Amino acid sequence: MIPVIGLAIGIVAGLLLEPTVPRDLQPYLPIAIVAALDAVIGALRALGERRFNDRVFVVSFISNVLIASFMVYLGDQLGVGSQLSTGVVVVLGIRIFANAAAIRRRIFHA
Amino acid sequence: MAEQDAAAQAEGLLEQIADTALDDDYYVVRAGDYAQSREFNTPLTALVLAVFALLVMMAAVQTRNDRPATERARSTLISDVAARKELQTEREATAERLREEVDELSASANRFDPSYQNLRIEAGDLAAEGPGITVVVSPSLQRNVDGGITDDDLQILVNGLWYAGAEAVAINGERIGSLTGIHFANGAINVNFRDIAPPYTVVAIGQSDTLMQRFEDNPAGRYWASRQKDAAVQFGVTPSSDLDVPAAPKKRMTIRHAKAIKGEE
Repeated sequence: MIPVIGLAIGIVAGLLLEPTVPRDLQPYLPIAIVAALDAVIGALRALGERRFNDRVFVVSFISNVLIASFMVYLGDQLGVGSQLSTGVVVVLGIRIFANAAAIRRRIFHA
Repeated sequence: MAEQDAAAQAEGLLEQIADTALDDDYYVVRAGDYAQSREFNTPLTALVLAVFALLVMMAAVQTRNDRPATERARSTLISDVAARKELQTEREATAERLREEVDELSASANRFDPSYQNLRIEAGDLAAEGPGITVVVSPSLQRNVDGGITDDDLQILVNGLWYAGAEAVAINGERIGSLTGIHFANGAINVNFRDIAPPYTVVAIGQSDTLMQRFEDNPAGRYWASRQKDAAVQFGVTPSSDLDVPAAPKKRMTIRHAKAIKGEE
């Protein structure tokens, strides 16, 4: 119940406060969201497999976001920002799909 | 071999990503405080989920807020383009109207000023039509030395026609204007700096019968009569009630140095 409340609080806060991302960080927001989504889907799968661990969730979430953002930042500095973000998105996308497939198999047995 | 290995490795990499999609940490049974922690319902999870929701909302809100700005810029551009197009059409219409006005004014100026029109015809600036005579001259067929037509012959002919009362003269379609010369250059006679070749057709506009009569009676007519007799050059005159001559070329009508004296216009 508490996590759902947290989710709701996040949505409401985002809607009401309309926080703006600093211009310098804007390029990293989409990648950070994809990385966070990977952590969330992974957590959902772990939950389904009864191995969820909130500490692992927190650590994987934060590290995913930071590493993904850092890779894009590094790519920007090296002049290969778009290629590196493509790579990050591909890897995270594969993971998201694999985890989503595992969840789907568990729920629908298909 | 190496390529196959590389391909296999690449495939393996993707497979590996898919296989280890779930963080290994979830599978590790940890010792210590978190050994039994399988709890989903914790404030920590809630916090992370709140942060996640906040991130997503931030991006969504920002994108939505940015859209009106780009939309506004676009619509401003569109209305700008429309306004400019309208302006252009308007200007084109104005230009067209002014052009028509100019045409109309110049036409009316010409219409109401017959003396100006006459002057232009006299100067050779306007094509002219009317009754007159056509004189066709060509070299002798007997290959005699003096049987050719020279520039002098044509000059005498044209001067004789002027003297006989011609109002507009053209040789082979080249109108004789105030600045026109008839001279021999580069093996041919040229008029208005254009080469012409025999037979030379000289059209003179004027009253045809008196024109013929006065030409035959004046020195030029006598000169041509003797040319016919002595050198057998061919010379034929036909009166006509409807002849026309073109305007002299604009190049031959351009005044570069002469200016009208003030007060004598």
